[in-house]
Amino acid sequence: MNAWRLAVRNLRRNRRRNAATLLAITLGYAGLVLFGGYIARIELFLRTNTVYLQHGGHVSVYAEGGLEGALARPARHSLDPAAQQRVLEAAAADPRVAFAARYMRGMGLAGNGCRTVPFVATGVEPEPFGRILRHPDVQYVSAEFARPVRGRPLPDASEVEGAVGVATGLARLLNKPRVHDEVRGVPVTLLPDCGTPEAGEQIAADANIQLAAVTFGGALSAIDGEIVNLFQTPSAETQDQTILTTLGTLQRLYETDAVTYVGVFLHDPGRAAAVAGDLAERLRAGGLRVDVYPFTDSRVSPHYVGAMGFLGSLLVFVGTLVTAVVILGVLNSVTLTVYERTREIGTFRALGWRRRQVAALFLREAVLLSLAGLVCGALLTLVVATAVNSANIRFQPPGIPGDIQLVLWPLPGVYATVALLLLPLASLVTWGVARRRVRGRTADLLTATAA
Amino acid sequence: MTTRTTPIRLTLSTLLLLAAASGAAQERPAADRLLKDADRARGGLATGITWTATVNATGDDASTSRTFLVKARGDDALVEALAPPRNKGEILLFNDRTIWFVKPGLRRPVSISARQRLHGDAANGDIASTNYARDYEGTIVGEETVAGQPVWKLELKARGRNVTYDRIRYWISKKGHLGVKAEFLTVGGDVFKTATFEYGNRARTPAGEFEFVSRMTITDATGAGTVTTISFGPPRVETHPPSMFNINNVVR
Repeated sequence: MNAWRLAVRNLRRNRRRNAATLLAITLGYAGLVLFGGYIARIELFLRTNTVYLQHGGHVSVYAEGGLEGALARPARHSLDPAAQQRVLEAAAADPRVAFAARYMRGMGLAGNGCRTVPFVATGVEPEPFGRILRHPDVQYVSAEFARPVRGRPLPDASEVEGAVGVATGLARLLNKPRVHDEVRGVPVTLLPDCGTPEAGEQIAADANIQLAAVTFGGALSAIDGEIVNLFQTPSAETQDQTILTTLGTLQRLYETDAVTYVGVFLHDPGRAAAVAGDLAERLRAGGLRVDVYPFTDSRVSPHYVGAMGFLGSLLVFVGTLVTAVVILGVLNSVTLTVYERTREIGTFRALGWRRRQVAALFLREAVLLSLAGLVCGALLTLVVATAVNSANIRFQPPGIPGDIQLVLWPLPGVYATVALLLLPLASLVTWGVARRRVRGRTADLLTATAA
Repeated sequence: MTTRTTPIRLTLSTLLLLAAASGAAQERPAADRLLKDADRARGGLATGITWTATVNATGDDASTSRTFLVKARGDDALVEALAPPRNKGEILLFNDRTIWFVKPGLRRPVSISARQRLHGDAANGDIASTNYARDYEGTIVGEETVAGQPVWKLELKARGRNVTYDRIRYWISKKGHLGVKAEFLTVGGDVFKTATFEYGNRARTPAGEFEFVSRMTITDATGAGTVTTISFGPPRVETHPPSMFNINNVVR
């Protein structure tokens, strides 16, 4: 008789125990795949926010010391136009690069005519910003953060002089709830009656703010800004201070043509470290003193790297725990089965079966049982993931303003990885138990009492 | 020959020592008085005073210069940028403790902090009249010699949050009560910049003449190596109307 068919028949002999083992494998597999899928989804969410919505790029190129020093000493640590051109050319020459964009980061005070609030601003180029907003990853996992809460996205407001996007927290501090499109034609009160009850209404009536900062030359400067949108930042920490505007507007405020860094966006995020290394080598060989960072460097993406480090540890811990429980269940079941069938083993041996053949019979049974468990687990995963995803369960992850949908996103890679972990382990355990039992003398096996 | 200490001699010596000690204590002026006198030499005049201030900053391989016309009256000051030409017309209005930045073409004035850097390492509060007696709680903590002259060393602690610095160590000359040196400290007590003062100017009032600040040299103490000097032109004592310092009049 075919050994596999024999294994199937044997599995039917102790249905209750095998069903329990099957259930353990099914639940363990589904749990691990769902947890892995959840972490994969969170990773994509954090990566998309870090790389695209926070404009870090997969690779960022700063002037030497720029990452640490650009805010405090911008004139010394920024990229001048010649350096910008060389970085953009080097990026364009690399086929792994999708596009690159120039950015300026700066800080200052945002005023409403009565009070000022500190801001941190990012100046973006409208065309690459439009590409970012249309990127499939952004649309898929972070559409809620990419879409303004009110008003138009910055790339669509090119006709507005001094167009700025203001984070909702900062807008609240400045008492600026309205955007340009909602207050078009409303005259700006030159000097609100600060301190009077009317001041609040006067300030809130228009979308005009002032941005004041120290220029690259060290002088005090200020420009008008027109709020074209209110948006939520992907991090709660930055909600009360973030301003997004065009690179040109920010350069006008700081009276410079320099930029803080060039963000490089790749086709494949997995190549970030390699591209960063190659870019750094190429630019430095050309005499350009730059620092190049992949987004996986904690110095440029401390939140992403920290969160992923924590989730990675959690995955290892939970994964080890669940795997151990499943494998112990298999071990328990196989041990009972093998000892119950000791005389049968003796009979096989007496009929001339080799030890390896007898052990292989048990192994086939374990493989079949595990495969069935994996198939059932995969189906259960699909059912649970579909149910959870369609239930639109909302939750607020730590450090994220507002809530996001709980999405379980089991990737084919996660299915395969967990299957490749559980199947060999279950087989190994079975093989070990069976081999130990079949080593006994045939006479002893035939006369053994039940375990 | 031996000297015999009699009870009368002992009593006399003790009385003399006590008298000397009492005299020394009387000589130590009140910190508040010292600060008021030092403020007057840095623009704190009730009726009105006008001067020019040129701020030169060196650092980051470049030197920059800006000139301002300062009109002060008591706690108020109007600071108008004169040079370079692109900054001409910019105004800083110190309205008691509120500071407004007004720029031609800007739709609204911006309310800023006295701590905001104006140019180089000079803060807005450095360029206008100084009112340390109002803004800081002063304590005399010792006597030292700075640049060859005996000085009182004071520790100043901000009375409120809207002042230029949190803490200042201030050295005021015993003769003339002029601030000759200052160390500016963070809340944590770290010195982040130091300043020395020169008094080559004289201001003339109907009541007489007094020395007036001519140069303030600010050195970054954090290792950046920048030096900023504020050169004060000859002061002109004159009467400024209070309306000059009203933001509504300035922006319209």
